[in-house]
Amino acid sequence: MKRLKFTKSKCIGCQLCAQVCSATHEGMYIPSKARIGIETYYDKGTSLKYKDSFCTLCGICAKNCPLDAITAGDKIEVNMDICNGCGVCATKCPKKVIKIFDEKAHICDTCNGDPMCVKVCPQGALRFE
Amino acid sequence: MLGYQNNVLRVDLSKKEAKTEPLRMDWAEKYIGSKGLSIKYLYEELKPGTDPLSPENKLIFMTGPMTGTNVPCTGKLAITGKSPATGTICDCSMGGHASLKIKYAGYDAIIFEGKMDKPCYLLIEDDKVSFEDAADLWGKGSHEAETILVEKYGHEASVISIGPAGENLCVMSCINSDYYRQAGRGGMGAVMGSKNLKAVVVIGNGGVKIPNCVEAAKRIADIEVENTLLEDNTFVFDGGTTAFLEACQDGGILPKLNFSDTTDEEWTKYNGEVLLQSLEGKRGCGSCGLGCGNFLKMGDVVCEGPEYESIAVAGPNAGNTDPVAIVKANQVADNMGLDTISAGDTIIWAMEMTEKGIHDFGIRFGEMDKYISYLEDMATGKGPGAELALGVKKLSEKYGGTDFAMHSKGLEFPQYEPRGSWGMSLAYAVSDRGACHMRAYAPNEEVFAASIPPYTPEGKGEMVFNLAQWNAVKFSLCVCDFWATLDMALMAELMTLVTGRDWTEAEMGEVGTRVINIARAFNQREGFDAKHDTVPKRLFNEALKNGPAAGQKIPEEAFEDMKQQYYAVLGWDKNGMLPESLLATL
Repeated sequence: MKRLKFTKSKCIGCQLCAQVCSATHEGMYIPSKARIGIETYYDKGTSLKYKDSFCTLCGICAKNCPLDAITAGDKIEVNMDICNGCGVCATKCPKKVIKIFDEKAHICDTCNGDPMCVKVCPQGALRFE
Repeated sequence: MLGYQNNVLRVDLSKKEAKTEPLRMDWAEKYIGSKGLSIKYLYEELKPGTDPLSPENKLIFMTGPMTGTNVPCTGKLAITGKSPATGTICDCSMGGHASLKIKYAGYDAIIFEGKMDKPCYLLIEDDKVSFEDAADLWGKGSHEAETILVEKYGHEASVISIGPAGENLCVMSCINSDYYRQAGRGGMGAVMGSKNLKAVVVIGNGGVKIPNCVEAAKRIADIEVENTLLEDNTFVFDGGTTAFLEACQDGGILPKLNFSDTTDEEWTKYNGEVLLQSLEGKRGCGSCGLGCGNFLKMGDVVCEGPEYESIAVAGPNAGNTDPVAIVKANQVADNMGLDTISAGDTIIWAMEMTEKGIHDFGIRFGEMDKYISYLEDMATGKGPGAELALGVKKLSEKYGGTDFAMHSKGLEFPQYEPRGSWGMSLAYAVSDRGACHMRAYAPNEEVFAASIPPYTPEGKGEMVFNLAQWNAVKFSLCVCDFWATLDMALMAELMTLVTGRDWTEAEMGEVGTRVINIARAFNQREGFDAKHDTVPKRLFNEALKNGPAAGQKIPEEAFEDMKQQYYAVLGWDKNGMLPESLLATL
């Protein structure tokens, strides 16, 4: 099964991944609602730190959903008719990548096996393999 | 047009009031954004003769329609005001992430007016704006101030700040963001300091809409792969601008000892190969596809950079071969809030003045400990180097040495020796903000690509115009200089995708020309004309001694010829003035 992989030494912190994720899922560029959150920043200006929030398809969200609204396989699927946005999945997500808004959980769907974040990652820091 | 937020935050610092107003979309149609649109605002709103350090000057942070989208290399923020260094218009293009945060917070631009009665910083969290006391930050280095603010608001916040140089109204002070990204030139830090504005903190959680967003984002992603990520552009990831050191050495335009000669036999002691041995990581701006930033650690010296400019001025131009001193000088200048180019050029001019016995500034070529301590003196206004904060124009008018005071209109030379690239002398002379390499990059044509003979005035007016037009429109789209393969046709396609209005290649060129013209019109209104389009006499009188350009100097009549060619291409008169017919089109 293919999963997202991240190599931090190749990341330049451009956040194109979150931009294109939100553009293609939400219809606008809004990284605060993106299903990926990879950033770099300088800690006190003296060291480079990385935030690597992305879905590894671990399935913990599905196991913990009290309404069984989430199924995990080659991709995560949320049944929006069932999901009530309770946020348990987001709390349990080890990568803290699930966004709750409009009373629903929004989780990476790997763009159906062809993730846009990987396509736009300019230095190959994100891979899907 | 979409792509814009159609929202400007106008901040009256005197009244401590922030109000929003619609963006002038009629102006955006003609000037797009960033460079062009910010100059248009100042042209319309600033009274001629305004003292750049008075409350009446304005400081504009301007994004563009592509800011916040996945159009690559669009993380730049135009920072524009009337320059205290030159008295001209001055727009800077600052990297980092602040531009995106401003757009996501819901604004196309922030316009600062007036002056606060005491130091404060502005806190913007989406539509909430507040003025916060900066007494504890005032006097601190830009890096220290950013650290304090990031610890308070989290690293999701972008901080735009000044150092002591800006607070002390030094005309070569810069504005910093993301620690190592600067609006470097022309003293915009002093404009911010004159308003008692230590910093701006921006947290943006909103979004940007473009037409047919899903399909457009995918097409833009294709453009990134097909055009941005080509070798002609991606070389900046491998070494950043350190690659220019070799190119300038080989081309005979690497300046040495305050531009008294070119090339350095010892350049391999501080080149990219040496510096990158200390590479800790790579960093780009928001939406960047290329990642030019090199984060280096050399013992306790850390810095993102140094860029080519900072290497050349603190290296061969200062008679120094120690890479650690180069990086240290960069780090100190950034934290103090000083432009490495102007500050460095002033120090190396003082070195030559001392060496020649014209005036003893207490510093000679190669004395890097003093170079670094003088940077601190210039920023704080205390110590033996403090007077150098005036810059080479004013100092040479006081002490002599004007022939080798390397500046145009009071802005010190970037690190490209014009005698090896004659078009660069024209580019420096006619640039809208004084000597600048970001307005028309002549060495690319004359030296690196070697497509146009460098040691002749022939065709240089048109060459410099073409380069300037290209950059003027690129910077108005908020696109980074390093996307070198972006031509006007692709710009038009991207503009069409982002705004939903059909743009043509020809229109892109027209915008570029219009932006050059309005910048010139601004300066013309301030009293500038052909007699201010100058370069120092060293370029006319002293032949280079070493390197591929050995023997070269620029005949003064050739320089005047190039100027007239350039004016003619733009339809300006022989005195470099826009006629009424052109002024009416702005």
